[in-house]
Amino acid sequence: MSKRKFNLYFVPALVNEPITYVLVKDFDLKFNILRAEVVEKGGQLLIEVDGKPAQITKGVAYLQDMGVKVEELNEFVTKDEERCTNCGMCVSICPADAIEMDRDTWKVIFHLEKCIACGLCISSCPPRAMKLKT
Amino acid sequence: MKRTYEEINAKIKRGDAVVLTAEEAIRLVEDQGIERATKEVDVVTTGTFGAMCSSGAFINFGHAEPPIRMSKVWLNGVPAYTGLAAVDAYIGATEEREGDGMDYGGAHVIESLIAGEAVHLRATGRGTDCYPRRDIDTYISLKSVNQAYMYNPRNAYQNYGVATNSSEKALFTYMGKLLPHYGNATYSSAGQLSPLLKDPKLRSIGMGTRIFLGGGIGYVAWEGTQFKTNIPYRNGVPSSAGRTLAVIGDLRGMSTEYVRALNFHGYGLSMAVGIGVPIPILDQDMMANAARADEDIFAPVLDYAIQSRNRRPMMEVSYAQLRSGTVELFGKKVKTSSLSSYYKARLIAERLKRMIDDKEFELNAPVVPLPEERAQRPLEVCSMDEVL
Ligand code: SF4
Ligand code: SF4
Repeated sequence: MSKRKFNLYFVPALVNEPITYVLVKDFDLKFNILRAEVVEKGGQLLIEVDGKPAQITKGVAYLQDMGVKVEELNEFVTKDEERCTNCGMCVSICPADAIEMDRDTWKVIFHLEKCIACGLCISSCPPRAMKLKT
Repeated sequence: MKRTYEEINAKIKRGDAVVLTAEEAIRLVEDQGIERATKEVDVVTTGTFGAMCSSGAFINFGHAEPPIRMSKVWLNGVPAYTGLAAVDAYIGATEEREGDGMDYGGAHVIESLIAGEAVHLRATGRGTDCYPRRDIDTYISLKSVNQAYMYNPRNAYQNYGVATNSSEKALFTYMGKLLPHYGNATYSSAGQLSPLLKDPKLRSIGMGTRIFLGGGIGYVAWEGTQFKTNIPYRNGVPSSAGRTLAVIGDLRGMSTEYVRALNFHGYGLSMAVGIGVPIPILDQDMMANAARADEDIFAPVLDYAIQSRNRRPMMEVSYAQLRSGTVELFGKKVKTSSLSSYYKARLIAERLKRMIDDKEFELNAPVVPLPEERAQRPLEVCSMDEVL
C-alpha cells in the first residue's frame, strides 16, 4: 500500500461525474480530500490517495481519460535550513499540523507528508525560510 | 556567601570558573538546593534571539577623491540617515528599500555587511567649497569602511506581552500573523533563558557591561528606550514588559548566525539580534533569580484587536504553558508560537559559556547602574503651553 497526493483540476462539465465513487469502487482506493475549491472555470481538489501502487496508477489514468488534469503534489514548500531560525512562528499558522516543534532540541520539523499546500507558512515565516518549491 | 567580580575573573583566567547556562543552573538548583548551587557556580549565561526593531548600525565610509559631504545616502537602495558629519550614516533595521515595498531593507543590508558581501553605496551632496563632489556610486564592504558598529537603542526586552486576536479577521502585526477568533497566540521572550529576567533588578547589568552581541562582543551603552520599572512582579520577576537595553558592538566579529533580517508580512521589517548576558553569582539572591524557571515566569495576554495603547491584559500565562504549545484562553485551546528562537537562545547561552571557559570573555561590573525607577510616558497631542 502507498499514499500519494494529487491535485485534480476539472472543468464544470465534469462536476456531475461520479469520479470519486469510481475510484473507490473500481480501483479500491481510499482517499482523503485535503482541499477543495470551486470557481467558474471549474474546480480544484487536493486529494491524498491510499491504495496499491498499481491501482493508484490505474486510477490516475482513469481520471485523465475522463478529462481531469492530474498533477502529483510532491513538494510544495521547502524549508531553507540555513535561514530557518527555529522560532516556531509557522507552527501555529499551519492548518495541517505539518510543522512541529521538537521540545527536546527546540528545532522545528517539517513533515512534508502532512502538508496540504496552502502556502500560509510562506508569508508567515519572518526570515523567509519557507519557500515555494520551484 | 559572597563573591566579587575580581574573584570570578581570577578564576576565569586560571581556567577553573564554574559556568552554567541558565537551563543548567535551573536543574542544579532543583537537584542540590540554592545554597550549594550558589557556592558551586560562578557565572550563569543567558541568551535571547528575538525580533528587535530598534536596531541599526553607524558606518563611516571614508572620504572619496574629490570628497563629498553626503546629504542623502542609499545602501543597496535603502535610505540611510545622514544628518551627521560628511561621511557618517546610520542605517536603521526597519528602513525599507525605496520603490519596492516591504521585502528588503536596512536589516538585510546589515546582514549582508556581516556576511562579508559587497553593498552598493549611492550618495548625493550639495557640493561645497571643502566638499566639491555632488554624487558618488560605488561599493562598500566591512573591509572597506572605517567604522561599522551596531548601536541598538532598544534591545533585550525584560519580558513582553503575548499577542492574540479576538476579532473576525486575521491581523498582521509585529507579533506575526494573528489568526481570527483566538486562532493562535504569539510570544516573544526567551523566558527562563532571557537575560534581563535572570537579574530582574539589574544588579549586575548596567552601562559598560560586556555582553555577547550578534556573535561578537558588545557592551550595554545606556538604558534602552521605553525602559520602565513601574511594572507588575510575580515570583520576584516582572510579569510584563519592563527594562530594556541600548547596546553597542562592532559589526566585525558578528555572524549572520546571530543577526538575521526579518520580514513580518503586512507589517514591515525587523531584525533578529542574538544577545547573551553573563550573570555573576555574587550571592544567593543572584543565584535564586538566575535559576528561576519557566513555570514561575509569567506574561500578560493582550488582545491585539483592541488598537489602543491602553489595552488591558486578559490574563497571565506562564512560559511553561506557552512553551507547551497551547494555552487555554476562555476555555479554548489556543496554539502558541514563539517569535524568538529558543533554539538560538540556548545556542547563545552555550556559546557565551564556551567563550568564558576558553578565557575569551571576562565579566565586569557596570560603570553606572541603570535607573532604579523609571516610568514610561505616553505621547499626547497638546499645545505648546500644555507640553511644558
Ligand atoms: S517561521 Fe520560518 S524561521 Fe521560524 S521555524 Fe518556521 S520556517 Fe523556521
Ligand atoms: S504550505 Fe500550508 S500545510 Fe504546508 S506546511 Fe505550509 S502552512 Fe502547513
